[in-house]
Amino acid sequence: MKTKIKFSAWAMCAILPVIYSCESNEAPGPENPSNGLDYRYVVTSTPIASDGVADYLLTVDDLTDGTVSTQGNGIEQDGTYRYYVSHQNKFFSLLYGQGNPGAVTTYTLDATGNLQKLSDFQAETVQAFAIVKDDLLMVRIPRNIDTPMASWYRMDTELLQIVDEGQIDLKALKSDDEMGFFTWVTQVGNKVYAPFMSAKGCCGDAFGTNDPDRAWIAIYSYPSMELEKIITDDRISSIGRYFMEGLAVVESGDVYAFSPANTSSNSELNSTKPSAIVRIRAGQEEFDQDFFMDVEELTGGYYLHSWIYIGSGKFVLTLGKPKATWGPGEYFAIADVNAKSIQWVTGVPSADEITSVTTNNYSPKDGKSAYIGITTTEGSHVYHIDAENNTAIKGLEVQGGTITAIRRLEKSN
Amino acid sequence: MQIKKLCIALAIYSLNILAGQAQSTVILEGRILDSKSYPMEGVGIYVKELGTGVLSNQEGLFSLVLPEDLIYSLKISHLGYRSQELSISTGTGFSPFLEVVLEESEMSLQEVVVNGKNQVRELRETAFPVDVVDGKSLHHTTLDLAHALDRVSGVRIRENGGVGSGMNLSLNGFSGRQVKVFMDGIPMDNMGSSFQLNNIPVNLAKHIEIYKGVVPVGLGADALGGAINIVTQTYEKSHLDISYSFGSFNTHRTAVNAVHVGKGGFVAQVNAFQNYSDNNYWVNVDVADINTGQYFPDQWVKRFHDTYHNETLIAQVGWVNKPFADKLLFGATLGKNYAEIQTGARMVTVFGSWHRRGTIVMPTLRYEKKGLFSSRLDLSFNANYNLGSEQNIDTLNRRYNWFGQYKTYDGPGGERSRTLYKFRNNNGLTNTTLHYHLDEKQSLTFNHVFNTFNREGSDELFPDDARYDQPRTNTKNIMGLGYQLRDHEKWGASVFLKSYNQGTHYTQSYNPSGQWGDVAYLDMDNSFSKLGYGAALTHFLKERLQIKGSFERSYRLPETEELFGDLINLSANIDLRPESSYNYNLGLNYWSDSKQSKRLNLSGNFFYRDSRDFIRARLNNNQVMQVMENLGNVLTKGVEADLRLFLKDQWQAGLTMTYQDLRNNTKYEGGQQTVSILYKDRIPNMPYLFGNVDASYGLDNVKLQGDRWNIGVNLLYVHEFYLYWPSLGSDKLTVPKQISIEMESSYTFGKRSRYQFTIECRNLMDSLLYDNFSLQKPGRNFTGKVRYFFL
Repeated sequence: MKTKIKFSAWAMCAILPVIYSCESNEAPGPENPSNGLDYRYVVTSTPIASDGVADYLLTVDDLTDGTVSTQGNGIEQDGTYRYYVSHQNKFFSLLYGQGNPGAVTTYTLDATGNLQKLSDFQAETVQAFAIVKDDLLMVRIPRNIDTPMASWYRMDTELLQIVDEGQIDLKALKSDDEMGFFTWVTQVGNKVYAPFMSAKGCCGDAFGTNDPDRAWIAIYSYPSMELEKIITDDRISSIGRYFMEGLAVVESGDVYAFSPANTSSNSELNSTKPSAIVRIRAGQEEFDQDFFMDVEELTGGYYLHSWIYIGSGKFVLTLGKPKATWGPGEYFAIADVNAKSIQWVTGVPSADEITSVTTNNYSPKDGKSAYIGITTTEGSHVYHIDAENNTAIKGLEVQGGTITAIRRLEKSN
Repeated sequence: MQIKKLCIALAIYSLNILAGQAQSTVILEGRILDSKSYPMEGVGIYVKELGTGVLSNQEGLFSLVLPEDLIYSLKISHLGYRSQELSISTGTGFSPFLEVVLEESEMSLQEVVVNGKNQVRELRETAFPVDVVDGKSLHHTTLDLAHALDRVSGVRIRENGGVGSGMNLSLNGFSGRQVKVFMDGIPMDNMGSSFQLNNIPVNLAKHIEIYKGVVPVGLGADALGGAINIVTQTYEKSHLDISYSFGSFNTHRTAVNAVHVGKGGFVAQVNAFQNYSDNNYWVNVDVADINTGQYFPDQWVKRFHDTYHNETLIAQVGWVNKPFADKLLFGATLGKNYAEIQTGARMVTVFGSWHRRGTIVMPTLRYEKKGLFSSRLDLSFNANYNLGSEQNIDTLNRRYNWFGQYKTYDGPGGERSRTLYKFRNNNGLTNTTLHYHLDEKQSLTFNHVFNTFNREGSDELFPDDARYDQPRTNTKNIMGLGYQLRDHEKWGASVFLKSYNQGTHYTQSYNPSGQWGDVAYLDMDNSFSKLGYGAALTHFLKERLQIKGSFERSYRLPETEELFGDLINLSANIDLRPESSYNYNLGLNYWSDSKQSKRLNLSGNFFYRDSRDFIRARLNNNQVMQVMENLGNVLTKGVEADLRLFLKDQWQAGLTMTYQDLRNNTKYEGGQQTVSILYKDRIPNMPYLFGNVDASYGLDNVKLQGDRWNIGVNLLYVHEFYLYWPSLGSDKLTVPKQISIEMESSYTFGKRSRYQFTIECRNLMDSLLYDNFSLQKPGRNFTGKVRYFFL
C-alpha cells in the first residue's frame, strides 16, 4: 500500500512539470528578405479548410516567380472573412463580421519591407468600400426592405478614424416595391458613383428581383454624400454584382461599366438583357448610347463575372458559363474598349481544374499586365496576364491556401 | 453449482407460476438499523436466488415472502454503508425476524467523488468507460451541473461569460452536440434554453454518469462519442432540501427540492430553482469612440447589459413500488429564462438592448416496472412534449460602445438584425427500454427513442415572411439491441447494434408569379438509415484492478437546428449527412481496500477516435448567414488519468489530467489533388491539455455532536492553445494558459434536520480568464450559501 502511494506521488511530480513547462517552442517563421525596391507586394492567403480558418498576410518582392508559404509565416488575421484595401503605404484589413462591428487593422510597410501594425479602429461590417480621395468610404447595406436605411462612414486614412457618417434610404432609390442594393462605390472625378441592383429584400429571396432589365447608378456629391441624380440604362441589367465593383475610370476620365446580367427571382435567372459593357463619358453623367459591347455575343455566350482595369483601355475579364447568380468565373479574356474587341487568354488553367479565382487583384495599369490569383486542384499561383500577347504565365506559388488579395504597397521612408 | 442454483431458481419460478397459492411460504420480517441504532429507510434487501428485492420503510422495517425449505442469500446494501450478505434458511431453524446493523463505510457522503459505493461502484465496474460524480457531495456548493462536470477528467466546459451564458461542453475530443446529455435516461436536447446544464443547480443531481465513448444501449439516442446522464431522484423516502445563495455581481440562486413519499407508495415531488445575476463584472477591453471608431485601449469597464435570470419548476406526482408499477409519475417541467446579450462572438462587438427569452412547458410521463409479465422482464417508458418557445428581441436601431454610450439611427433597424422572431419546435419524445434477464449472468436490452419535431415560427415585425419557411418537420427513430454477460467476480461483456433512422420534410417556398405576396411550395424530403455497432469487455486482473476495453461504430444524426437553421444566424441545409466515428477505449481502474485508512483510487483511460463528416459551420454564398456542412475528418488520440488519495475521513486529494491530440485527418480538401497543408495539423481552438488538482480537509464533531466542517481548494488548469491552425503564420493569436483557483468552506450541523453554511471564492487569484478567445470571464468573486435539508 505504502509503495503504491509513493508511486502515485512520483507520478504526480512527473505530470506537474509537464503542465507548467510546455511553453510554445515554435520559432517565428522566416520573413521573406526584402530587396532594394521601394515597394513590396502583400499577398493574403486563407487556408483551404473547413474550420478555424484565418487569413495570413504575406509579403513578397516578386509576383512572377518563387514560392511563399503560410506555413510558419505570415501575420494571422482574426476572424474568418476579411477584406483588404490599400492606399499609398497603408494596408487596411477589414473584418466581415456578419452585420456586427469589428476592428479594422491598419498596417504599413516599414523601410525594411516588413508590415508593421499601425493601429486598430472600429468599423461596421460593410458591403462596399473604396478609397475616395484620401478617405476610405465604407457603406453598410441592409438587405431587408423593412430596414432600408444604409449607413456610410468616411474614414480619414491619415487620422485613422471615422470623420463623418450618414444614412441613405435604399427604398427611396426605387419607385416600385423593391429596394436598391449598392453593388459597390467608385470615385469618379469629385463624385461617388454607386451602381445598384434592385432587390426584393424579403420573402426568403432577399437578393431576388422582379426588375431585372435595367441598370442604375446613384451619383453622390463628395464628401457630403448628397444624392445628386440617378442615371439609368435600359440596354443592360444591373451593374456589378453583390460585393463586386462594376465600374472603372480610365485615363481620359470616361467611366466603363459592366453588367453580368445574372439577376434572379426565386433562384431562376430572369434578365432578358445580355451581359455587356457600357460607357459614361467624362463629365457627362449619362450613359453613352453610342457605346455598347455585348460580351455574350463577342465571346460566344459567356457572361462577365468580374474585371480589372489594366490601363490603355484594356481590361482583364473573368467570365463564366453557364450563367448563374452565385456561380464562378473561370475563363479569362482581354477586352479592349477602344477596339471593342475581346481576346481569349491562353496559358490559364482550364475551368475544370480551377477551384477559385481571386477577386482582389493587382495591375500596375501599364496597359500590359495584371496579376491574378488562381487556385486549381494542384495549388495556388499568381498568374501574370500579358495583355500584349494574350497569354498567362504561372508565377508566384502560394502554398497553404487560396489567394484572397494581391496589393502593392510603398515602403515608408 | 451454478446450474444447481439456476435449477432451483427456475424451479421456484415455475412453481410460483404453476402452483400459485399452493406453494407453501414463510414470511421473513426484519429491521435495518445504523450503528447508532437509528432505523434506516430505503435500504435495499436483495434476494439473490430470486433476483428480486424490497426496500426498508421509514421505521427500517421490511418483509419478504419466501418459499419454504430453501436457503437464500440476502444482500443488504445502502449507499455509504458497507453492504452485508447473509445466508438464511427457510427450512428447519427458520427465524422469522432479522435485525441488521449497517456500518458506515469509511468514505462518508461529504467526500467529493464516491469511489467505493455500491451503486456507483457497480456502475464503474461495468465494461463501459464511465465516470461517476456523486452529486450529493457537491450539494453544499453553488455549482451548477456544468461546473460540476468541469472537474471530471476529459470534460471541459467553455462558457461565453457569467451566469446563464452560452456554453459548450467537450468530452474526450468531441464537443457540442456530438455529446448527448440525458436526465434520468431521457435525452435533454429538446428542452430549450430554459433548461440547460449551466442553469440547473447541482442539487438536482443525485449522481452524474459520464460515459466517455461507448454508451450503453439503455441510454438511447445518437451520441457520436460519449454521453452524460444526470440521475435525479430515487423516491426512497420523503426529504426536503432548500438552499439559497447570494454572491458577487448581484447573483441570487435558490433551489427547493421536496419529495413526499406517502403511505401506499404515493409520491409527490416539487423541484424548483431560480438563478438571477447582473453579470456586471469588470472586463478589460479596448473601447471604441462611438463616433470616430478610435479605440481607447486597455480600459476596465463593467459589463452593462448581461442580466440573466431563469425560473424553473419541475413537479411530479405518482406512485412508487406498487404492483402495477415500480414508478409511475405524471409531471411537468415549467420554466422561463431571460438573457441580455452583451457581446457577439468577439468582445469588440458590444450590444446594449438585444436580448433573448425562452420558455419550457413540458408535460412528462415516466413508467418503470421490474418484472412485467414475468420476473425476467423490466420495462421503462418515458415520454415528454415540449411546448416551449424561444424568442430573439432586437428592435432598437442603435450602436453601443463599452462605455454604455450609444447613438440611435433613423428608421427601423436592430443592433444586429432587426427581429422579434419567435418559434416553437413542438418537440416530442418517447424513450422505451426493455430489459430481459436470460439468467443470472446474461441479459438483453432493447431501447427505442422516437423524436418528433415541427417548427412553427413567426415574426410580428415581418408577418409576410412566416409562410415562406413552414412547415419544417422531422422524425427520428433510434433503436438499439444489446446483450450483456456478466460474471460478477471476473469479467463482463456487452455487444450491441444500433439502428438510426431520420426523416425530414421541408418546404422550400418561392414566389411563383413575381406578384407581391404570392407563394408556392416545393416539397423537399430527406431520409436515411444507418447501422452502428459496438462491444465492450472488462476483466478483473486482481480483486481491485480492472481493465476495460470497448469499441463502437457510432453515428450522430444532424440536429433539427442544423437541418433547418435557426432563422436568425443559421440557414437550412437539408442535405446534411450524419457524423460518424469509430471509437476505441482502453482503461485501467485500481482502488485500494476500503478498510484501509490510507486509500488510493487510480484510473487511466486511453482513447482513439477516427471521425468522419464532422458537421461544421461556414458562411453561405452571399455571406448573410452560416450554414452547416459535412466538412472534415478528425483523428483523436488521448489519455486521461484520475488519481485520488484518502487519509482517514479527513484528508482527500485528487488530480485529473487530460491530454487529447486532435488532428486534422482531411487529406484532400474540397477538390484539391495535393495533400492539404493542414493534414495532420492540430485542430485549432480546442484545449488539448487540461486538468485539475483538488484537496479537502474535513473534521467531524467540531463543536456539536455530528457536525462537520470542511474546507476545500480546487485548481483548474487549461494549457495555452492556438485560436487558428498551429502550423500557419508566424505572428499568431492564442488563448493563453488559464489557472483558476476555487476555495470553499462549509459547516454542517443538526441531526435529522441539517443546516449547512458555505462560503466560496472562485477565481481566487483574480486572473484574466477566457474560455473562448477574448470573451472574458468573471474575476475574483464570492458566494455565500445557506442550506437546510433533512433526509
